[in-house]
Amino acid sequence: MDQAGLTALIQTLAQGLLTGGLYALIGTGLSLIFGVMRVINFAHGDFLAIGMFITLALFRTFDLDPYLSLLVAAPVGFALGFVIQRLVLARLGDRLSEGSMLATLGIGLIISNTLLLTFGAQPQNINVPYATNTFQLGGVQVSIPLLIAGLGTALAIAGLNLLLYRTELGRAIRATAQNPLGAELQGVKTAHIQAIVFGLGVAFAAVAGVLLMPLLYAFPTVGENYTTKAFIVTVLGGLGNLPGAVAGGLVLGVVESLGAYYISNNYRDAYGLVAFLLVLLLRPEGLFGRTVKRV
Amino acid sequence: MRTVTLFTLSLALLGAAQAQGGTIKIGAITSVTGRFAEFGKMQLAGFKVGVEEVNRRGGVLGRKIELVIEDNASDVNKGLAAAERLVNAGVPLVLNEYSSSLVKAQAQYLARQKVPALVFSSSGDDITKPGNDYVFRLNQPATEYARVILNIFRDHKFKTMAVIAGTGAFEKSVADAAQDLAKSYGIQIVEDQRYDKGLTDFRPVLNRIKAKNPDGILMVSYAEDSVALMRQAREVGVKPRLFAGGAAGFALPEFVKDAGSAAENVVTATAWIPQLRYAGTQKLNVELKKALGGQDPSYHAAQAYAGVLAAAEAIRRAGGTDREKVKAALNSLTMQTAFGPVQFKDYEGFRNQNPLAMVAQQVQGGAFVPVYPKTVVPRTLKFER
Amino acid sequence: MTTTAPLSAARPRALTFGNVWLSLALLAVMLLYPFVFGKALNFGVSTLIFAGLAMSWNVLGGWAGQLSLGHAAFVGVGAYTMTLLATPERVPAFLGGPVAPWWGALIGMGLAVLLAAVWGALTFRLRGSYFTLSTIAVALVLRLVAINSEWTGGSEGLFMPELPTFLGLDLFDRRVEYGLALAFVALTLLVTHLLRRSRLGYALQAVREDEDGARALGIDPARMKLVAFMLSAALTALGGSLYAIYLQAFEPHTLLELPVSVQIALMAIIGGRASIQGPVIGALLLATFGEVFRTVFASANLLIYGVLILAVTLFAPDGILGLFQRGGRKLGTAR
Repeated sequence: MDQAGLTALIQTLAQGLLTGGLYALIGTGLSLIFGVMRVINFAHGDFLAIGMFITLALFRTFDLDPYLSLLVAAPVGFALGFVIQRLVLARLGDRLSEGSMLATLGIGLIISNTLLLTFGAQPQNINVPYATNTFQLGGVQVSIPLLIAGLGTALAIAGLNLLLYRTELGRAIRATAQNPLGAELQGVKTAHIQAIVFGLGVAFAAVAGVLLMPLLYAFPTVGENYTTKAFIVTVLGGLGNLPGAVAGGLVLGVVESLGAYYISNNYRDAYGLVAFLLVLLLRPEGLFGRTVKRV
Repeated sequence: MRTVTLFTLSLALLGAAQAQGGTIKIGAITSVTGRFAEFGKMQLAGFKVGVEEVNRRGGVLGRKIELVIEDNASDVNKGLAAAERLVNAGVPLVLNEYSSSLVKAQAQYLARQKVPALVFSSSGDDITKPGNDYVFRLNQPATEYARVILNIFRDHKFKTMAVIAGTGAFEKSVADAAQDLAKSYGIQIVEDQRYDKGLTDFRPVLNRIKAKNPDGILMVSYAEDSVALMRQAREVGVKPRLFAGGAAGFALPEFVKDAGSAAENVVTATAWIPQLRYAGTQKLNVELKKALGGQDPSYHAAQAYAGVLAAAEAIRRAGGTDREKVKAALNSLTMQTAFGPVQFKDYEGFRNQNPLAMVAQQVQGGAFVPVYPKTVVPRTLKFER
Repeated sequence: MTTTAPLSAARPRALTFGNVWLSLALLAVMLLYPFVFGKALNFGVSTLIFAGLAMSWNVLGGWAGQLSLGHAAFVGVGAYTMTLLATPERVPAFLGGPVAPWWGALIGMGLAVLLAAVWGALTFRLRGSYFTLSTIAVALVLRLVAINSEWTGGSEGLFMPELPTFLGLDLFDRRVEYGLALAFVALTLLVTHLLRRSRLGYALQAVREDEDGARALGIDPARMKLVAFMLSAALTALGGSLYAIYLQAFEPHTLLELPVSVQIALMAIIGGRASIQGPVIGALLLATFGEVFRTVFASANLLIYGVLILAVTLFAPDGILGLFQRGGRKLGTAR
């Protein structure tokens, strides 16, 4: 491989990893929810859309820098998730596994259509001066907003790990994930824990939406694509497996990027989908490690 | 129940109209609501200006004209239901709007009912190629979007070019036409990449193109993608002599606003600009702007305006509202409008197609200026390198 | 079954309310529609096609309890197969010329069965949500193939060619199409009625209630689900062929998208998955709602789907028809 070819490969890999970081952030939220609650959240992408539109609205109204919107989007996402778990998912009882799919599907439709009524169907951008800024690293160009998104992802995931493994709340969450009944007997208020977990998962999606906004554009049904991406990421990593979700996100980003560069862009979305189907069929526990068979 | 009320309502309206000596009702379908409502808004303004102009000049055959506008809610099934209501209302012809996925199904249905469909805004080649007896189109087909850009490339001796296009029907139509034209012009297409909706990481594609270093890049995409595409092109550092857009997202005012400095020097095809030297172009622009409450009109508004004028003229020549006579009148129609000349011809495999050329404009100093063809008093093109 | 059975049973239960008379009454209403609303046939035809599609979906979703969010794939298989085979320029040379639409529709059903057989054989080893996830992926892959291939017409889609007359009837006459769509709904109702009284139907109900228990009774759950899947796929593809004739021109973007799958599934679930006629009622109600509130909700016409599915999931797991049935049953015991 000549010098130019090598640079191109590194460039493609770097961009794949950075995009993959965002996928990881989206997938982590979904996987966390599944791991603790056995709920597949079909509204995940729509929560991401909420994050995008919060950013858009704050930028339009107060000229607020998109990254400052994190301070609003994350708590709003958390609160929304907390309430939805309490008002909807907690009431499904033993119909949870299928009922939650339908309920979140409905919630997703309500969100996207409400955004449609509020903001209109036209895709909307925010024009910030640093949107196209890059820096050079040995011939490889790195987009600054994409790098910020990658760093944000790393921080969020590190924070989640601290929470899960260094705090009392984290212990309770892990206990609930492993054995809800046992946890309840130990005095853990599992209903409360599940609401917190759903809130965290939604907050992750909303944060991803904020980080995406300087790079992309928002439209009410933008979530559809990201829900699918989140499914792919979590299945690649193993449903409920958090480190797996991070790895799955990076793998998806790199696979898409390499496929688009070296094969063809036309089937870009198909690379992930095919990988997803193969893993689903051949290794339903995910690519990485061994998860307890819970489903 | 809704149908019943609608039916009685239209009966009542019909009665009222006859009492006044009868307006001539022309059918029109557009997207008042839904995904395409933005274009629908432009078209409604064009309709309004067109109807006012015809009636100011005394209407048609001594009667005023009136548009019966049906909303397709940007949905194919609702569009078909809308077409059926117009057929049953007895209109002599139907003006047909924007999205090809809706227009194709509506036009097919109208043709089966033997009602002329006058398409004024949808550009997929396959609407009039091969087309049929009852479908007429006054706006430029996708091939023309590609032709104007490729003409610029050819005139400046470009040897190589790359294509990035969405997978929508319109984008595919333009990109495929560019393939054919490039072959006949002797321009080599070094990359032709299509992307699916929602893909906003164009960097791998742009890197691929950068490695090939083409003279020109033709991009065909809708509003949302055009901005992301140009931002990322600057970021990746791909540098052709010219970036060109195939209308759609690149021709909208929002493109210049949202893409900011990334939009500079981008050339785009467009269907109509106020600088065109047809009679009444300036005046039309002023009236459209007024109808839009001060907003700048896009070419979709001018197309809708021309649709009304052509429909009125066809009815005048037909001497009445008989559908077959109106169809025959459309076949032999020749007229000048502020949108451009209108006549329906069979050529290059097209049927009942108005052979109208596109124009090109370039972003210079943060605003669109016309650069092609000669009839618009073009400014000099600026190249990236 | 007693009224004290918990409302939150794990799976929807088979209902007794939906008897043959209700089916006949529904068909009679649909038969009358064109005589009353002869000027709104397009709305009628599309609504009936979706009612039939929802019924077809329910063979798998209701009877086998397998939630599919990829049925657009089968609609596409039916529509594309019939149209491609009927188009002189596109039909494969070895067939020696265009294939009549009714044979094309049958071939489409065959291909759909084949797809379902392979897909189901691979995925029914997985339980619950894994199957649902796989349906989304398969439909999306088919969509990408349709968009990116030349032989499918790519993203510009296909135009319906001239078709031969069917028993002397013009297939592009909306009245004929209405009759065919009505026949399609009647067929799906008939299949469901037969299913209910068949060994397959009993086996499916057993599997749906308790998969392990069914296995103990000597039923092979994977095989039962597979048969239901193939049946559902065949019916859906038939509906897809009809839909293609009705549209006369279609693009992959209107036919193969996720929202199409979701819409079909939700019509069935909102109407009532466990009942025989629930999906038809769901489709008729939602279509009427959509038309009445078209201007109010504008583009947000799926909002009503979201609200209803949430309400149904929370308060009426057996769907709208299930609500009536439960009410009826309560009255029955009160007496």
